[in-house]
Amino acid sequence: MSGFFVQNVWMIPCLPLLGAIIAALGARRLRSSSHVPVVAGIVLAFLLSCGALFSASPEATTWVGRWLPIGNLEVPVEFRVDGLTTMMLSMVTFVSSLVAIFAVGYMAGDPGYPRFFALIGLFVFSMTGLVLSNNYLLTYAFWEGVGVCSYLLIGHWHTRPAAASAALKAFLVNRIGDFGFAVAIIWLWAVLPDHDLSYGNILNGSTLAALPEAAKLGIPLLLFWAATAKSAQIPLYVWLPDAMEGPTPVSALIHAATMVTAGVYLIARSMPLIALAPGVQVLIAVTGCATALLSASIALTQNDLKRVMAYSTVSQLGYMFMGLGAGVSDVAQLAVMAAMFHLFTHAFFKGLLFLASGSVMHAMGDVIDMRRFGGLRHRLPFTHLTFAVGGLALAGIFPFAGFFSKDEILLALKSASYSGAGQGWGWVYLLIYWVAIVTVFMTAFYTARAYFMTFWGPEKLPSPEDPEAPRPEPGSGHGDHEPHGPGQGETHDHDHGHVGEESPPVMTLPLLILAVCALLAGICFGPTHLFEHHLHETFGWELLGHGEHGSDLATALISTIGGLLGIGLAYRFYAAESPVPGQLATRFRPLYEASLNKFYVDEAYDWVVVKTTKALAIVCEFLDIYLVDQLVIGIAKLPRKLGKDLLAGYQNGLIQFYAAVSALGVAVLLFILLLF
Amino acid sequence: MIDAFTLDLLRNYLLVGAALFALGMLGFLSRRNLIVMFLSAEMMLQGTALSLVAFGRYHGNFTGQVFTIVILTVAACEASIALALIVILYNRRSSLDVTLWQDIREEGVPAASPAQEASEAEPIEPVPGPESYPILTPAGIEPAHPVQPWLERRK
Repeated sequence: MSGFFVQNVWMIPCLPLLGAIIAALGARRLRSSSHVPVVAGIVLAFLLSCGALFSASPEATTWVGRWLPIGNLEVPVEFRVDGLTTMMLSMVTFVSSLVAIFAVGYMAGDPGYPRFFALIGLFVFSMTGLVLSNNYLLTYAFWEGVGVCSYLLIGHWHTRPAAASAALKAFLVNRIGDFGFAVAIIWLWAVLPDHDLSYGNILNGSTLAALPEAAKLGIPLLLFWAATAKSAQIPLYVWLPDAMEGPTPVSALIHAATMVTAGVYLIARSMPLIALAPGVQVLIAVTGCATALLSASIALTQNDLKRVMAYSTVSQLGYMFMGLGAGVSDVAQLAVMAAMFHLFTHAFFKGLLFLASGSVMHAMGDVIDMRRFGGLRHRLPFTHLTFAVGGLALAGIFPFAGFFSKDEILLALKSASYSGAGQGWGWVYLLIYWVAIVTVFMTAFYTARAYFMTFWGPEKLPSPEDPEAPRPEPGSGHGDHEPHGPGQGETHDHDHGHVGEESPPVMTLPLLILAVCALLAGICFGPTHLFEHHLHETFGWELLGHGEHGSDLATALISTIGGLLGIGLAYRFYAAESPVPGQLATRFRPLYEASLNKFYVDEAYDWVVVKTTKALAIVCEFLDIYLVDQLVIGIAKLPRKLGKDLLAGYQNGLIQFYAAVSALGVAVLLFILLLF
Repeated sequence: MIDAFTLDLLRNYLLVGAALFALGMLGFLSRRNLIVMFLSAEMMLQGTALSLVAFGRYHGNFTGQVFTIVILTVAACEASIALALIVILYNRRSSLDVTLWQDIREEGVPAASPAQEASEAEPIEPVPGPESYPILTPAGIEPAHPVQPWLERRK
């Protein structure tokens, strides 16, 4: 039976693809039931993934077909069914199923309904292919696939300039990362003696030991470069907050739960390779730490509910990278498992939070600015409850999922500060550990802030008279520098008659299921070591160092206190009208402004990258117009000059003259022929 | 091989073929009557065909003959088309003179008038001598022809 699931694992990507094709081709006929084939495909894929979950083993691979035979290098379509893959598969298909079901309600009436579902199916195909593939080249192909789907889905409402430019930004920033990945693959190909790019060949002890020193440092660095773009880390995180221009189910699925974790997955998959370069690991941890801190501090002041969640996602991805970076010497296995566990739980609670935000947005008639509504806990009981569960999980409060996974990462960081001491990196990890705990506090604060602002306080529904609605007032301290005015919101064909009412069951049911997961995923898989045992089935990870690491009560205690402190503070500030936040904002005006404006990172990029590129483009345009174009035009003018001014006079319309010229021409040719 | 077809024999054939071709070309270039021009072109074709047959005989195979038969077939088709065209052209201008069809010339190029030029040219004196060449009427002089009443009506 277990062989069946390994043999037929190719059906997991193909079923959603089939659904997508049916939805795309039958768009006209299916219309408002376009979701049926896609949802069916994804749910079936989820069931198959569950089967595959129990037949995972490090060596289980299945050969699907030939793909790229180049000389004697053959790159097959081959899937590996090990612990890491099956964990990712189940998580991806599970969250995708729920998000797709949620989207049935959320996207109802949208003119691009069939297109949306076709793309969701295509995305699930790419994502499952990405985690299944057994060589770097196939991973790369699917890596691009998810990038394209992300681009298309962010730009789902492509008639809005903000969405179109956000999609473009996401795509371009991701291209920078893809370049790193491509170079890494080429380098690997060059240094491997048999040019075989499969994981089975690369991630084993003898191959890794035979790598040249430069490659041991460079390839992990390039892979991390690729991961920073896909998983939104400094310096390439800027696309993710803007990606919230897409429909909320897309934000939940792609930009919170699944696609953005592809970078984490790539690093985790290549962990035996990454572990060769402790310097790169420190860089990964430091980058993750800086990203987590920066984006958490931006999230503190954002007024757009989805944007808070977006920065929170960036921050949590930073946690995962901290975990991955902590994998030095004998902590390696613990650290990578902690990171993957956080990825796993994060998918549930962040997907939940996004869907709940979408539900709020749906109920508020596409208004997402938290200043324009409040006190919704009676109107939206289900959304309120599930958002609270998700928020507690994100804040890391016992016994919610986030508590266990975050704790494991902190534990890994602490252990790394002892183990890394031998290489002189101990103090770095200790610093990161404390910054991570500060970030826990901030995470709890902004999550609770969003929760209290949305669901507590006096009941308030958005109205066009809100001061924030049309345009932010200059000097009010609430300058909104988002590319779109919040009042414009997401303009799709919603029936606005139900503003302020709870969403239909097709939307609340996925919320409830995800809430249950966010509540139980941590406690079921964490302390029982079920997750750990499953990931032990991952290929190549037996090479990672592992030692005995007991649980650390102090860390758990400190992080819980940090989380509770954050929630408590947010309660004081935002649960009821309070003058304190306003006073603080005035007191620390520069800091507040900087955070509100995302530390001017976008502006800095605009100056450094975009402006430079545009200047270069102007130079190129100049060269093009005055050099290349003139050359081409000159050449094009030559025949005209020759024909018009020189030969046209001989065009006298006398047939005999033409015949004579032809005869002369033939004679000249014959003469030349005789001559040579 | 029954009789030897030597190079000398071949040369005779080729000479005749070349003469036919050259005469045809000369006629085509110098005559203005469409039908005569067409006949000259046919003559060039026959010159080529004769050479081909001679070559075929010389090499002892049928290639040349096959080729010639193909040429004859094509020439027949071409003749029918050409004659049809000539009929149409005649109907348009009531004349077979090819110089009436100078419309395809480039803009700004003056139309040539060979008849005018020929009539104004010096008369050609016969070359004196014992083996004097026959005097040909100067090519290109438009013969006087009466205008038919039915053509007038058509205009």
